[in-house]
Amino acid sequence: MFTYNFKYELKSLLRSKWLLLLSLTLLIVVLFAGYNGKEKVEKRVSGLERVTSEVKEKDNAMLKILDSFEKGIKTNQNPRTLPSAPMNVAYGYPRVAAIPAKALTFIATGQSDLFTHFVKPSVYGDSFSMDYTELANPVQLLFGTFDLAFVIIYILPLIIIAFSYNIFSEEKEYGSLKLLASQPISIYQWLLQKTALRFFWLTLITLVVIVITLLFFGFEFGSNFSSFIQLISLVVAYILFWFAVVLLVNILVNNSAKNAVSLLAIWVFVILIIPAVVGQMANVFYPIPSRTKMISEVRELKEELSKKQDKILDNFLRDHPEYATKNGTKNYSFWHKYTASQDLIEEELKPLIDSYETQLQKQQEWVKLWQYSSPAIIMQQSFNNLAHTSTAHYQEYRSQVAVFSKEWRNFFKPLLYSNKDFTTSMYKELPSFKYEAPKSNSVILKVVILLVFSLIFLSIGRQIFNKKIGKGSVIV
Amino acid sequence: MIFYIIKKELKEIFRDGRFRISAGIVLLLAIIAFFITFKQYKNTTLQYDEAKKSERRVWESQGEKNPHSAAHYGNYVFKPKSPLSLIDQGVDKYTGISVFLEAHSRNEAGYSDAADQTALSRFGELTPDFILLYIIPLILILIGYNTFSKEIEGNTSFILKSQGVTGWKLVIGKWLAVLIPSVTITTILFVTAGIVLSNMDNYGLFEWKEICFLYLVYLLYYLIFTNIVLFISSLVKKSGISLVINLVFWVLACFVAPKVASDLADTRYPYPTHQEFNEQIAEENKKGLDGHDPWSDKAQQLKAEMLKKHKVDSLHKLPFNFNAYLMQKSEEHQAEVFAKHYSILKQQAKKQDDVYKSLASISPFLPTRFLSMAIANTDYQSHWDFSEAAEEYRVDVQRFLNGTTEKNSKYGERYVAPADTWKKLKEFEYVSPTFKEVFKQNTSIFLILVLWFVISSIVLFFTNKTY
Repeated sequence: MFTYNFKYELKSLLRSKWLLLLSLTLLIVVLFAGYNGKEKVEKRVSGLERVTSEVKEKDNAMLKILDSFEKGIKTNQNPRTLPSAPMNVAYGYPRVAAIPAKALTFIATGQSDLFTHFVKPSVYGDSFSMDYTELANPVQLLFGTFDLAFVIIYILPLIIIAFSYNIFSEEKEYGSLKLLASQPISIYQWLLQKTALRFFWLTLITLVVIVITLLFFGFEFGSNFSSFIQLISLVVAYILFWFAVVLLVNILVNNSAKNAVSLLAIWVFVILIIPAVVGQMANVFYPIPSRTKMISEVRELKEELSKKQDKILDNFLRDHPEYATKNGTKNYSFWHKYTASQDLIEEELKPLIDSYETQLQKQQEWVKLWQYSSPAIIMQQSFNNLAHTSTAHYQEYRSQVAVFSKEWRNFFKPLLYSNKDFTTSMYKELPSFKYEAPKSNSVILKVVILLVFSLIFLSIGRQIFNKKIGKGSVIV
Repeated sequence: MIFYIIKKELKEIFRDGRFRISAGIVLLLAIIAFFITFKQYKNTTLQYDEAKKSERRVWESQGEKNPHSAAHYGNYVFKPKSPLSLIDQGVDKYTGISVFLEAHSRNEAGYSDAADQTALSRFGELTPDFILLYIIPLILILIGYNTFSKEIEGNTSFILKSQGVTGWKLVIGKWLAVLIPSVTITTILFVTAGIVLSNMDNYGLFEWKEICFLYLVYLLYYLIFTNIVLFISSLVKKSGISLVINLVFWVLACFVAPKVASDLADTRYPYPTHQEFNEQIAEENKKGLDGHDPWSDKAQQLKAEMLKKHKVDSLHKLPFNFNAYLMQKSEEHQAEVFAKHYSILKQQAKKQDDVYKSLASISPFLPTRFLSMAIANTDYQSHWDFSEAAEEYRVDVQRFLNGTTEKNSKYGERYVAPADTWKKLKEFEYVSPTFKEVFKQNTSIFLILVLWFVISSIVLFFTNKTY
């Protein structure tokens, strides 16, 4: 039966030109999506390259000046900005702290259009309130990007629905089901095979199209094989899920028009309503505290502290006697007061600042918990994880930058207080930033959950089918 | 005749279990969405009032201070929430809510809601505009996809014809029947919103004519959708295929077209990154006067000019504080540089906007979306208006502060202004553009929407003669 079924399905698919039309449409759509993603990644990479080379150039110039200064050769550098003064380096020569793009970044824009991908934390300024938002047209953010994630999460299920909403009901409506029923075959097996074959063809086309797109945009399979496999298994599991739904609806409803309506309703629920409700609930249960309030609180605290700067410095030196000058002269500059009070500000504001991050964390945990309510959420989360564009990635990046900017300040503090010069030999010891991606959960669990969903639907379908056979209501 | 058709169709629609379930769900979702948005709106307005008051209090209680220190201390201005954001939140989530105004630099509005939310919020939020723009058209499809095809499938089209029904009357009857349920839901939503807004004590500049116009826009949107749904239903003989085609149209119009438009706009007219933008400004600022660098050539030049103008030989003999004057001149130069670069950015935004507008002719969703945001004052343009008003205020603040030093002190002395100086600064009041102005800016897009309606109606009524 299988070979007959296989041949028949292939023939009818080829004759109706469905397969050709589908492959072409998918190829164009996926290539376009890949192009959009790649364009964004390229802009990001070139921006980062430019800024890194600028910093390098500036560093080289600084080293030259330092070298001349150490050898006693006069330069025409403004004495106020000489890099031998440590705070001039700390302020004027910041490092680039970047979150680099990964091989699969172009498949899902995620949150990457909201945030900047590199900052230069200097010794001046508040690392906690650093601005990470990128300059963008908000209309664009509202509409989102036409990326691979969108095609797979939104469009692919629709193709599956349009492709097979009448897979069973059509046979009934044409009367060919009666013919089939008179054959010595199991109708359920036949239906299952028919669906499995369509699943096979659609999966094959989708995978080929994805591989072509990845090849076209220079994806390196060798070094990124595991992410490639993760991507592919997610896509296959997602397609399987929708085919299971289609099969279930075909058995349950078994009327082409009603099938289409039911499938449409399921699509709307899974892809639009559930994510919107889960997202809204995250906001309602874990609301982010008011930013306007934060602004006022930060200002009030700063104003209060700035009036007590001298006292703060005194306290600071009492806590850190190693920084106090040995001969007792009190010739402290702006930077002494600033670094001392900055520590205090950060300490005082830490609970307030953390409240935003913890609330966001809680929202994410909520989403993580409820992602299983809709395969669309599972897919979006996993795609963003694979692309390194998820909320967690940017949050991790922000917290690493905060740590780094403290490290940067602390590197110069001993030099400032001991009144030492910054030298060429110290250049190599300057702290540098390296982004470490957060450990993300493996997609295996998510794939398994999608498979479990599909199996549940299949077995429900089987039960209903058996019941209908019992009642004799499958064919008529 | 038309009345009978409507009555019969409505009866059929309401008998259908699927319609009852989905209409019930939509109504429930609309109520929840409305309730949540209303709560958020009230909260935000409250926070806005609080922040505004506390900001002014902090500013006024600075005590004795050098005015330029106060300029660096800066002040925040906050963007008020527009009343109609209750119906359409527009891009509010993606634009910041406050701008920090300080000496020497123009800052972008910071802290957008989207940056504080998970990636899930990018799926769309349960807000009234989500229901109005995406879900109600879907209800129209659900009701209307088989209006004509069911007559063929059920073999009733001949019976209908034998009754002597006129083609256009049948179309009108069915057309109205499809529209009535959705229009009822929409009307309930708008009337509730209108009553709620007009009964709030602190509702800003709410006007009935705005909400009426917004209602009209959505009505047009649904009329267009109904035209298209009925058109597809009359072309296709099978209900299932009619539904699939309708669905494809809905996805293309509401999801694909906006995304493609935004990608096209961004590829053709890309925005600079923050870094690039700031560097360009810093580069140009360097070439001009720097108020903190009185030794520069430009400053020396200004000094010579002033000495010559007032016919004195030393800065001390000038009738005003030259340092403050220099500071103000440099501030003016910087403001010019900012204005120039922001106008370049605005040009780019305008070009992107043109891309969106030109694509509005391929999807009725786009003109509706833009009009709705514009009327609700939650579109990109209203954000520009706000940030430009903030910049204007910033320039005024700098002039006031530098002027205070200039008038009240001599060259070389560090002026400390008395504690009551800060009260004299006028407060920032942002007035959003009036309905008339908004309409003027969006006439072309409104015309596109009307054109959509006219063309789709013509197509529907002229291809339906056979019925």
